[in-house]
Amino acid sequence: MSLAPLPTRAPVSGRRGIIGAMLVLPAVSLALVVLVGGIGAAVLQSLGLMPLVGPVRLSFDAYSAQSSSLPESIAVSLGIATASTGIAAVVGLAAALVIVSGRWGGRIVAAIGAATVTVPHLVGAAAIGLLLADSGLLPRLLGIEPGGWPRLVGGPWWVAVIAEYSWKESAFVALVVAGTLATRVARYDETAALLGAGRLGRLRFVMIPLCLPALVVSSTIVFVYTLGSYEVAWLLGRTYPEPLPVMALRLFDSITLTARPEAAAVAVVTTAISLAAVGLAFLALRRTAMWR
Amino acid sequence: MTSHLLLSDVSKQFSHDQAPALDAVTLDVAAGSCTAILGPSGSGKSTILRVMAGLDPVSSGQVFVDGVDVGGLAPERRGMGMVFQRPLLFPHLSVLDNVAFADRVAGTGRAAGRRNAERYLEMVQLGGYGRRSVRELSGGQEQRVAIARALAARPRVLLLDEPFSALDPELRADMHRLIDEIRAAISPTIVLVTHDRDEASAVADHIAVLHEGELLQHDTVDAIYNRPRSLRVSRLMGGLNEVPGEVIGGAHVSAMGAVPLDDARRTPDGRATLVVRQEALAVRATDDVHPALPGVTEFAGVVAGIRHLGPRRLLTIALAGGAVELSAELPPGQAVGVGSPVGVTLPRAVVSTVPD
Repeated sequence: MSLAPLPTRAPVSGRRGIIGAMLVLPAVSLALVVLVGGIGAAVLQSLGLMPLVGPVRLSFDAYSAQSSSLPESIAVSLGIATASTGIAAVVGLAAALVIVSGRWGGRIVAAIGAATVTVPHLVGAAAIGLLLADSGLLPRLLGIEPGGWPRLVGGPWWVAVIAEYSWKESAFVALVVAGTLATRVARYDETAALLGAGRLGRLRFVMIPLCLPALVVSSTIVFVYTLGSYEVAWLLGRTYPEPLPVMALRLFDSITLTARPEAAAVAVVTTAISLAAVGLAFLALRRTAMWR
Repeated sequence: MTSHLLLSDVSKQFSHDQAPALDAVTLDVAAGSCTAILGPSGSGKSTILRVMAGLDPVSSGQVFVDGVDVGGLAPERRGMGMVFQRPLLFPHLSVLDNVAFADRVAGTGRAAGRRNAERYLEMVQLGGYGRRSVRELSGGQEQRVAIARALAARPRVLLLDEPFSALDPELRADMHRLIDEIRAAISPTIVLVTHDRDEASAVADHIAVLHEGELLQHDTVDAIYNRPRSLRVSRLMGGLNEVPGEVIGGAHVSAMGAVPLDDARRTPDGRATLVVRQEALAVRATDDVHPALPGVTEFAGVVAGIRHLGPRRLLTIALAGGAVELSAELPPGQAVGVGSPVGVTLPRAVVSTVPD
């Protein structure tokens, strides 16, 4: 018997890889049909290749029609999505760590998180509006007159919109990250403690690195969702500048049928930004040690 | 890395309506020694290790390291290293950075920590594996890295919680040799939890037998096997022979006859059970039993059953017309069958008694 190092594990065989690919094929096929079909139709319509009326003609008119307001809309949308995602990631990560801590507080946070994700965004937006408006519940409870209350709803900083997204999406991030960590975090935490790592050391060197892939993935989903959904910004935001999805909806609902290609153009721009965000997220994900 | 560990009257109860997981356990582990805590599933083996490490608080009692009560200290401040059944290598770190983890969290520079880690990887025969991902290691290699990582933290006591139970027999034997080499190199104080008697005797110099939270005996490997303090210890150590009788004037008297006892191995006169390991009995095929020689007692018997244990056979031998049955392991080569007359020798040095 020898103490010489042993051979490493054999890689997964090609046959097993093929079986795995076959198992996910139905879901991937369906997703591709919807994705390619939806985006393809929007691209064709925005380029004048699938007009509702009139001749088929390749044109960028739909993109240039909103050129004056599009940059501001992109900036507002990116701002809302970035702020909401950042807050949701930080709050969600903290909540996930509380959930997996195994203490009684963790169960309460998990229950609150599970209840929060079931609330539709539209209902959440209405509730945030009733809470944060200048005539809402919060200023009344605090005894502040409407004139002395900041414009959180419909104001310049989109506070109510960001608050609604952050609240709902932090619960989503917390549950995703906690679900990833739940089965293994306690043992790794104990192992790190026995190697001399204090609470902060365990958080920095073990917990956060272990969380990172789940955090990046869930945050990317949050970013793309907040960038593309319209109802919260439509209910709680300003009328100008419009976030991209609100602009797309307005143009799509316009009585002028020629506005449809413009709505499609805005949707294509939104999709392009989302895809770029997803691409960047995957690049970041590949750089995490866990993914490697 | 070599500290004296003492558990004093330690009890652990997880809930009031359950029996205690540990019941007033006092265990003294000498600096530089290796003690195996042996017991069946649910005996409290892992709990005692978690209590030592500070992962679970004691319900009562104290844990001393080098005479200092460490009961109030968090695990990260106790200086205990621990290796679990699963290696639990951090998946986001390379092999080298796993081993350098303790230095890293202690504030040592990355380069210095890695240099130190290389030394410990060499110690577990994995020099040159540092840059690999932990996913590229086999089960045995992972456990070696886990041991190197624990040693690199320079623990005062190294706790091993069934670290080799998931490995195949060959790898396990490799790991036992590795522990021997580590002990020879740096003499750490080691407490090993296992349910495997062979592993306990292969690795440790002392064995503590735990049963339902109670420490039954803590002694040298030889004493635990050959001088058990109770029938429960004898049975937990795999002993098969128990002959009820009485100790009278330096001999155990039973239906089998009188068996002389060493002074150190006998109980006071009175009812007592004779215990002797099945491996310690000498059996020869003969119907001509020798008269008693000084220090040796031979009895005539008949083989009543044979069970194969790999190359060896376990004989059930009826003595005194079937009033007593003894089990004896027989090495290969002797031609005996069921019904064969045999002589069974009980060397005085391996016979002991426990009070009824």
